[in-house]
Amino acid sequence: MTTEQQNKSKTLIRERSAKRRSLYKSVDRTMQFIFRLCGLIAALMIILIVFFVAARGVQVFLPGYENPVSLGEFLTGMRWRSDQGVYGVFFIVINTIITAFFAGLIAFPLSVLSALMIVKIAPKRLSNVLTTVVELLAAIPSVVYGVFASGAITDIVEKMAGWFNYTTYGGNSMLAVILLLAIMIYPTITSMAVVAIRAVPESHELGSLALGASRTQTNFKVVLASAKSGIFAGLILGLGRAFGEATAVSMVAGNAMKGPTWNPFDLTRTLTTTMLSGLHETVGVDYDVRFSVGIVLMIIILITNLTINALRKKMESGD
Amino acid sequence: MTQQIQVQTDNDNAFDIRDFDLYYTDFHALKKINMQIPLNKVTAFIGPSGCGKSTLLRCFNRMNDLIEGVRIEGEIYHHNVEIHSKEVDVVQLRTDVGMVFQQPNPFPMSIYDNVAYGLRCQGVRDRKILDEVVETSLKQAALWDEVKDHLNRNATKLSGGQQQRLCIARAISLTPEVILMDEPTSALDPIATNKIEDLITELKDSYTIIIVTHSMNQAARVSDRTAFFLLGDMIEYDVTEKVFHNPEDKRTEDYISGKFG
Repeated sequence: MTTEQQNKSKTLIRERSAKRRSLYKSVDRTMQFIFRLCGLIAALMIILIVFFVAARGVQVFLPGYENPVSLGEFLTGMRWRSDQGVYGVFFIVINTIITAFFAGLIAFPLSVLSALMIVKIAPKRLSNVLTTVVELLAAIPSVVYGVFASGAITDIVEKMAGWFNYTTYGGNSMLAVILLLAIMIYPTITSMAVVAIRAVPESHELGSLALGASRTQTNFKVVLASAKSGIFAGLILGLGRAFGEATAVSMVAGNAMKGPTWNPFDLTRTLTTTMLSGLHETVGVDYDVRFSVGIVLMIIILITNLTINALRKKMESGD
Repeated sequence: MTQQIQVQTDNDNAFDIRDFDLYYTDFHALKKINMQIPLNKVTAFIGPSGCGKSTLLRCFNRMNDLIEGVRIEGEIYHHNVEIHSKEVDVVQLRTDVGMVFQQPNPFPMSIYDNVAYGLRCQGVRDRKILDEVVETSLKQAALWDEVKDHLNRNATKLSGGQQQRLCIARAISLTPEVILMDEPTSALDPIATNKIEDLITELKDSYTIIIVTHSMNQAARVSDRTAFFLLGDMIEYDVTEKVFHNPEDKRTEDYISGKFG
C-alpha cells in the first residue's frame, strides 16, 4: 500500500467514525436507560409486595380495626381457632420450622451425594439420564406432588403408624409433610449442587490425587469443599421452597388447631397451609390475619437465609 | 516381559525407562524412550510444546491413568519395580513421587490443612505429628517465616509465588523420594520464579527432582541433566552443560539457540 492510499483510507475511516460515534452514543444512552429501568422494576416489585402484605397484615393489630387481634397473643399463641376468633401463630411457626428442617435434613445429604454421583462417578450416559430425571422432578408442578402425597405418601405413613400402634387421620400428618417436602426440595438442591460441583477446577482434583488421595477422599475432602458455596446456595433455595410450599402441603397437613406437633403421626399446620386453606370462603379478620402470617413467613425465610450465609462465610474463612 | 527375567538396574537411579511408548488413542506421543533419571539430581525436560515432555513426566506418578485412551508399551522401573505392574499400589507410588503443577493449585482450605492433607489421607490423625510435619515442610519450602503466624488463613489468599511454594510444601509433607515439577514457574513473576529456582537447588540434596520447563535459562540454571524432546522422540540427554554448550544433535542446537520453539 502506498502512502497516498494509506492516507486516503485513514480519512475515510475518520469521516465514517465521526458519523457513527454520535449514533453509538445515543444507543449507549438508550441501553443504559433500559438497564436502569429493569433494575428499578425488580426493586419496585419486592418493595410493593412487602409493603402491601405488611400494611394489610399489620392493620388487624391496630386499635381502629373492627375485631382487633392482640399482637402478643398472636405471636405467642398455641391455638388457631378461627371459629372462636383465636389466632395464635407461635405453634405454627414451630411446626413450619420443624417440617422444613427435617425435610432439609433428609434431602440435603441425598442431594449432595446424588450430585457427586451425577458429576463424578456415573458414566457419561447414566449421568445424562440422571440429570434429565432431576430436571424433570424440578419441573413437576406442586399440585401434582400434592396429589401424589395424598394418594401414596399418606398410605405409607398410615402403615408406618400402624407398626407403632398409632392411628392417623388417613395418613395426614407431620411425617407426610416432611416426606413430601423432602421429595420436593431434593431436585432443587441437587441441580444447584451439580452446577457447583461441575465448576470445581480439575486442578484441585489432580492435586489431591497426586498426593496419594483416593477417589473417594478427593471427592469428599476437596471437591465438596470447593463446591461448598454453591451447595449452600442450593440449600437456601431448597429450604425456601420447603418454607414456602403451600398447595401440596395443604393436601396432607390436616391443619391441626393447636400445637406444636411433636408426634410425627399427628396432624400439623404450617404457615402456608394456614394462609391458604379456606382463603376464598372467608372475610374480615380471618382473611386479613393471613397477611400477618405472611409477614411472619417472610421474616423466617429472611432469618434462615442470613443464618445459612453466615454459616457459609464462617466455613469459607477456613478458621 | 515375564517376571522371571532378572532386572538389573543401577541403584543410583530413581527411574529406569526402557523402550517406553505411549499413545493417546492413535497419536504416538512418546516413541521408544530409553533413559535413566539419577537420584538426588535435578533433571530437566525441555522441548517445544507437544513434544511429549509433560506426558513422560506424568508417567512417573501414573497421572496418565486418569486420561482416557492412553495406552503404553515398555517399562519404567522405580527401584527394580515396574511402576505399571499389578503389585504397585498407585496411592503408594504417588506418596513416593510427589508432583507440583503448572498452575499453583492450593485447596480452598487453610494453609495448615493444605499441608496436612496428604498425611491425613494416609490416616495420620495425631495432632503432634501433623504440627511437626506442617512446620518442617513449610520450612523446607521456604514459606514458614511468611505464614507461621496465620496458618489458619485460607490458602487461596496467598500470592501466586507463595501458593506454589505451598504446593511444594504439600508435596514434601509426604517425604517423597522424587518431586515432579510441570513448568512450576510459568505462571509466576520473575521474583517468585527466582525463589522457586533457589528452592529447587536447595531441595536437590534431599530429593530427586524432575522438572519440565519452557525456559532454556531455567533448565541451564537449576538442572544437572537435561533431556531434549522433539515430537515424541528423546533427541538428546546428557549433563546440562554439555547439552547447552556442546550438543551432539543439530536439532538440539537449533532449539537451544532459538531457531525454533
